[in-house]
Amino acid sequence: MSDKAPSTQLPDTGSGSSADGGRSITGASILLDKVTKRYPGQSRAAVDGLTMEIPAGKIVMLVGPSGCGKTTTLKMINRLIEPTEGRIVLDGDDVTGINGDSLRRRIGYVIQAGGLFPHMSVAANIAIVPKMLGWSRDRIAARVDELLELVSLDPVQYRDRYPRELSGGQQQRVGVARALAADPPVLLMDEPFGAVDPITRVRLQDELISIQHELQKTIVCVTHDFDEAVKLGDWIAIFTEGAQLVQYDTPERILAEPANEFVENFIGSGAGLKQLTLTRVNEVDLQSAVTAEPGTLASDVLSRLDERGHDHAVILDSRNRPLQWLSRRQLSRLERIGADRDARLPLVGERASLNDALDIMLVSSVGAALVTGGRDSFRGVIDVETIMDAISKAHEHARTSHAHGKPVGINTNSMDAITAPRPAGPEPLPPEDGSRDGE
Amino acid sequence: MGAQTVALAADAAGLSWRPLLLQLGGILLAGILLAVWLVAADLTPTERTTLSPASLVVYTREHLALTLLSALIVLVIAVPLGIILTRGPFRRLTGPVLAVVNIGQAAPAIGLVVLLAAWLGFGFRAAVTALVLYALLPVLRNTMVGINQVDSRLVEAGRGMGMSALSVLLRVELPLAVPIMLAGIRTALVLLVGTAALATFINGGGLGILITTGVNLNLPRVLVAGAVIVALLALLIDWVGRVVEHLARPKGLS
Amino acid sequence: MFEFVGSRFDQILFASWQHFSLVAQCLIIATVLAVVTAGLVYRSPALRSAANSVSAIGLTIPAFALVGLLIAPFGFGVVPAVIVVVFFAVLPILRNAVVGLTSIDRSVIESARGIGMTRFQVLRRIELPMAWPVILAGIRVSAQMVMGIAAITAYVLGPGLGGFIFTGLSRLGGANSLESVVTGIVAVIILALILDFLLVGLGRLTISRGIRV
Repeated sequence: MSDKAPSTQLPDTGSGSSADGGRSITGASILLDKVTKRYPGQSRAAVDGLTMEIPAGKIVMLVGPSGCGKTTTLKMINRLIEPTEGRIVLDGDDVTGINGDSLRRRIGYVIQAGGLFPHMSVAANIAIVPKMLGWSRDRIAARVDELLELVSLDPVQYRDRYPRELSGGQQQRVGVARALAADPPVLLMDEPFGAVDPITRVRLQDELISIQHELQKTIVCVTHDFDEAVKLGDWIAIFTEGAQLVQYDTPERILAEPANEFVENFIGSGAGLKQLTLTRVNEVDLQSAVTAEPGTLASDVLSRLDERGHDHAVILDSRNRPLQWLSRRQLSRLERIGADRDARLPLVGERASLNDALDIMLVSSVGAALVTGGRDSFRGVIDVETIMDAISKAHEHARTSHAHGKPVGINTNSMDAITAPRPAGPEPLPPEDGSRDGE
Repeated sequence: MGAQTVALAADAAGLSWRPLLLQLGGILLAGILLAVWLVAADLTPTERTTLSPASLVVYTREHLALTLLSALIVLVIAVPLGIILTRGPFRRLTGPVLAVVNIGQAAPAIGLVVLLAAWLGFGFRAAVTALVLYALLPVLRNTMVGINQVDSRLVEAGRGMGMSALSVLLRVELPLAVPIMLAGIRTALVLLVGTAALATFINGGGLGILITTGVNLNLPRVLVAGAVIVALLALLIDWVGRVVEHLARPKGLS
Repeated sequence: MFEFVGSRFDQILFASWQHFSLVAQCLIIATVLAVVTAGLVYRSPALRSAANSVSAIGLTIPAFALVGLLIAPFGFGVVPAVIVVVFFAVLPILRNAVVGLTSIDRSVIESARGIGMTRFQVLRRIELPMAWPVILAGIRVSAQMVMGIAAITAYVLGPGLGGFIFTGLSRLGGANSLESVVTGIVAVIILALILDFLLVGLGRLTISRGIRV
């Protein structure tokens, strides 16, 4: 249903870059194999026998309460934290034993607020890894400009600035550019958008989605914000203490079918509303409408409304763009339809989420919204019933379907997860819980 | 002393050229007034010999030699030691080392000078050793504070990008520690200029001899001239230190 | 060494008491001077930076040079000793008091003014108690520094332990000279530790639990 849901077969763990429907995945797969981290003097392991597959070219969100070990898990992938036991496999190669520094040069790393070095210019910050890899000066300079363009910063303007001369959002963008500098197949992000204001955060998230659309890296991102996980993630891994993996699934399925009470609580209220953010307007069946051009007789339009049993008519200009949306009462007061444009039309783009659409229709007087597509041309009408239908269908689909290419994620010593309280509902264990253990 | 050295670094943060020019202007003015007074004053023959330009140059040169040599030794000892004490396994030694160095600081400077003379004999060598002991703390502590105050997330960012521990130290931690380290070095230099005046008690040379001569032979003008010259020298060294801090501050830091 | 200390125990104790009492009394005078000055200047940025310059530059003046300068007008004895010790003790306290008074959250002061406190009431009941930990830190720095400086004032025949050091110096190589110097040094260090301990205890008693770190 969502364009993020995996519709194609995922490559096996081990095969790195492969073509995926024309767009090429430059990311590499990651496998955490029975990874454990124990700190001396602590009885509980911070991460306990975690096995987790991270498919190439996807965004995997690690979420959970603070102290649950999600950050430890992330940092074991680039071995900033050395695992006590277990293997890390990157793109089919066991990297548990290789030199950590050279491993980390192959993996991009983004932290909160960008972690830019304040004494280096933007360009110098981005150039660090390419320099360590011995690139030529020209190549580095070209790459810096290319990356600044990628993260929507004008190279001429920003190249020579220092981090403190940038806003929080700009610093974060440079942080992403720096992580991508040597074109690493994997990007690790630790609460990347935690330090910026909500509006900037949404913008940065959207930009990350579009960058990912273009680059198809493998991105592992830690966040404590479940909404962010739903928005960005192809897959979401929910952890409890000791990095116990409670659920590892698509956002749709986690919302529709939380594995237990913990996940339910973590999702918080309004799971249904969050579902709305996952579906786009062009994925649901829109309703048709009676349309008319300016200059038509109002009585003609009224009789067509009678024929169709509709209450409103959409007035379109010559290029099919909505001008007005008239009720029977408004039409009955007119003789001919005018050509002026109603600035308060409830318009919603077809790429918008159902959440946005609902927002617009709730404030419109009609209780519905007009959907527009390319060049603002009219596509149809969306109303509350349409959304209700779409949600219940999506919900049913998510509950009954198997996600394709679902990656493995278990704790070998997962006693806690099994004995965790079941949800109150009558549903039996989802079937893939059993099959996961078998893999 | 810790609060003091760190705060000195903090006041370096808001540095602009104007106070520096004022400080230099004040020092030059005081120096000129002193010179005019020396020329104009009706000095006795003894005073004239003691305060002759030639002997003043000798004393000042001795004083600077004491100060700069001690400072150099302090740097060679304290900076690497400070760096080592911020590295993982050696962190646990921080407490004991600071305790020892702190005692060196708490001991009265004059006591250290005399004690070292009793051990090494009178002269330049004992004076330098005492001065080094006395000035170790600000440099050591500011090196450690400077490195430790570097945001640990920056260190992690560096490591996360694949920089080696050494490379993070050289390219991230030390450059960002420079302002605080320099403030510590300036503090040490100023302490050294002042304390070097005590070297005269153990025949270590320096401008202190003007003060002791003035007291012993009851020559108040020699005494005052000596005290003023030492104070001006300290202010001048402080000024040089501030200028260096201003110039060496990494661009991009506020 | 033990023999030296044993035979002169009373003398050492007396000198230590003199030393301690000189430092403690000078610290009290210095604290009052510094806090009053800070209270007068902290609201004006220009005066504030002037106060900071005074303490920064004052601290660069060598103690021995100041001791020498004061002989000319005041001669030998207690007066120049007290002046030197107070002068150096004021500087760190002044700087910390200014920092402490200016770094208080504006909103706290606004809310105090908002409930009808006068400027002076705000200073006495809000700002000074909140700045007190920082001021006390300055007093501790001063205490340690002037313990050593007080030893130098023995050169102008000031009271205290410096006498042991200068006596040792004048007879260096002779009998008991080293013992005399070591006694002076060790006693100063011990006094510094005791005074610091007392100041920490003072902090425990006087710093509001709400802002203790």
